[in-house]
Amino acid sequence: MKQPIMVQDSGKDKVLVYVWEAPVRLTHWLIALSVLVLAGTGIYMGNPFLIAPGEASDNFYMGTAKLIHFYGAIVFSLAVVTRLLWMLLGNAYARWNQFVPTSTRRVRGAADMLSYYLFLRRNPPPTVGHNALAGVAYVGVFLLYLMMIITGLAIYSVSAHVDYPMGAFGFLVPLVGGLQSARWLHHFGMWLILLFVVNHVFSTIEVSALERNGVIGSIFSGWKTVEKEQLDLGE
Amino acid sequence: MDKRVNDQFLEELNARGVSRREFLGFCAAVAASFALPGKAEAEIAKAVATKPKPTLVWLEFQDCCGNTESFLRAGQPSAAEIILDLLSIDYHETVMAAAGHRAEEALKKAVEENKGKFIAVVEGSIPTGAGGAYCTIGGRSALSIANEVCSQAGATIAIGTCASFGGLPAASPNPTGALSVAEAVPGLKNLINLSACPANAENLAALLVYWLTFDRWPDLDRYRRPLFAYGKSIHDNCERRAHFDSGQYVEQWGDPGHRRGYCLFKMGCKGPVTFQNCPNIRWNSGTNWPIGCGHPCLGCAEPNFWDSMAPYYNHLALDKTGAQPNIDKVGFWATLGLGGAFAAHAVAKIAGSKSRVIAESAASTSGKGEEA
Repeated sequence: MKQPIMVQDSGKDKVLVYVWEAPVRLTHWLIALSVLVLAGTGIYMGNPFLIAPGEASDNFYMGTAKLIHFYGAIVFSLAVVTRLLWMLLGNAYARWNQFVPTSTRRVRGAADMLSYYLFLRRNPPPTVGHNALAGVAYVGVFLLYLMMIITGLAIYSVSAHVDYPMGAFGFLVPLVGGLQSARWLHHFGMWLILLFVVNHVFSTIEVSALERNGVIGSIFSGWKTVEKEQLDLGE
Repeated sequence: MDKRVNDQFLEELNARGVSRREFLGFCAAVAASFALPGKAEAEIAKAVATKPKPTLVWLEFQDCCGNTESFLRAGQPSAAEIILDLLSIDYHETVMAAAGHRAEEALKKAVEENKGKFIAVVEGSIPTGAGGAYCTIGGRSALSIANEVCSQAGATIAIGTCASFGGLPAASPNPTGALSVAEAVPGLKNLINLSACPANAENLAALLVYWLTFDRWPDLDRYRRPLFAYGKSIHDNCERRAHFDSGQYVEQWGDPGHRRGYCLFKMGCKGPVTFQNCPNIRWNSGTNWPIGCGHPCLGCAEPNFWDSMAPYYNHLALDKTGAQPNIDKVGFWATLGLGGAFAAHAVAKIAGSKSRVIAESAASTSGKGEEA
């Protein structure tokens, strides 16, 4: 199953390409939103800087933070899993081989992009979807997401109610080196993701300004403006 | 119950200064710790009074004797201590009267006469470095003694974190190549870990009473610890838990929060990742326990606790001394730094393109004359 790619003419040299399908855009924004919510509540849970006044029964600061964190985790995990499945079902720009470079063309594309970043090349290699180097970087990002889900489930499993199905994830605890190591990894992973978010937001703004291809608009609408001669259907 | 046996048992208790009431109180407490209904108390009392006492061999290897101390501690003789006294402890290096060849014979005899039936209690880790030379008893390495004794035992109880998981001797860099009992003597049947530093004597008594009563060993968790004692985290049973959920934390030793008994999470408490029944049974005959007297849990009952739980008064530090800032501080500044770098880059770019525009316009207005 592979979705065909939609292309529309737009002016004499340019075409509009439907790059990001609805599930890609939806999961992108769900992940973005849940990462912000998870990081916000997670930072409070790791270092509860607000101290509740009065009696313990008057407030529920940490309890509320945990509750939001757990709901955020459900949204995040389902969005990541959906995006991973869409790598098998979506169009050419959404597929797994956009991330793991399997063709020599993608490997060369990654090398070209690297030389562009190292100022060894004047212009970035033309790409419509993810550039090949970014694709490889996203493999790391998805592995980071999976690590966060796994360590999160491991930490959650031990406080699951007796006979509650989430307790079944307890088998993950020894695999991640015990609970304290799971916590360490969970915090470490959060900062790596936040570093990625900063990089992602700034570089997108910059690329959008440099290349003027509507990359920011594309994650809302799905359509990207591409020079006719640079049209790459990702085959 | 056989009345004569029962009377004899009660006499024995009385001789040791324990009343029948105290004994039944102990049985009720044990029944409660197994989450059994009220009737179980009578069954437990019957089993303890009438069943033949198992032979127990206590081996001490690379340890600090802390579990023996915990086991022998006597503020006033409690029923639990009497139960442990009533065990036939045929060999215990620290407390036995015999020495030298006599002691060796006692061990040999206990093992041979009760082969497959006796209980081996192992305290301390088992060093394997230098051919086992770091810990020898009577000229034999701990490794060979443990292999010989534990493999012939009906059950092995690894008491304390060293025997259960390697503990302090196995902490990085583990100079003696110390192993836990499970690692040193693989494939043991009925191996039960009673971790913690030291293990609580009440749990040892309860474990033995469980076995006397039901003729089987209790269900274990993934680290082979009895679920009745290690099934819940310290955090989930903590008396300060309401302060955690509410958002009330001690931030400095002796601050108003500390005096009010707030949660010790920010002081490095490892209660959320540690499993034991300290909050329920407490220590020193139920007097108190670390969190009860205002000190965070160190996580002593967990595998690798010296390596993974240190530093004790901090969470998630980058090194074991706690001198370095923790991972969250590093992450915060790194994220801020990267954001700042990108922002500076953008500012420089905008400024650069503006100055180029100015330079270009300046060049066009000044004409070609200057080039000549």
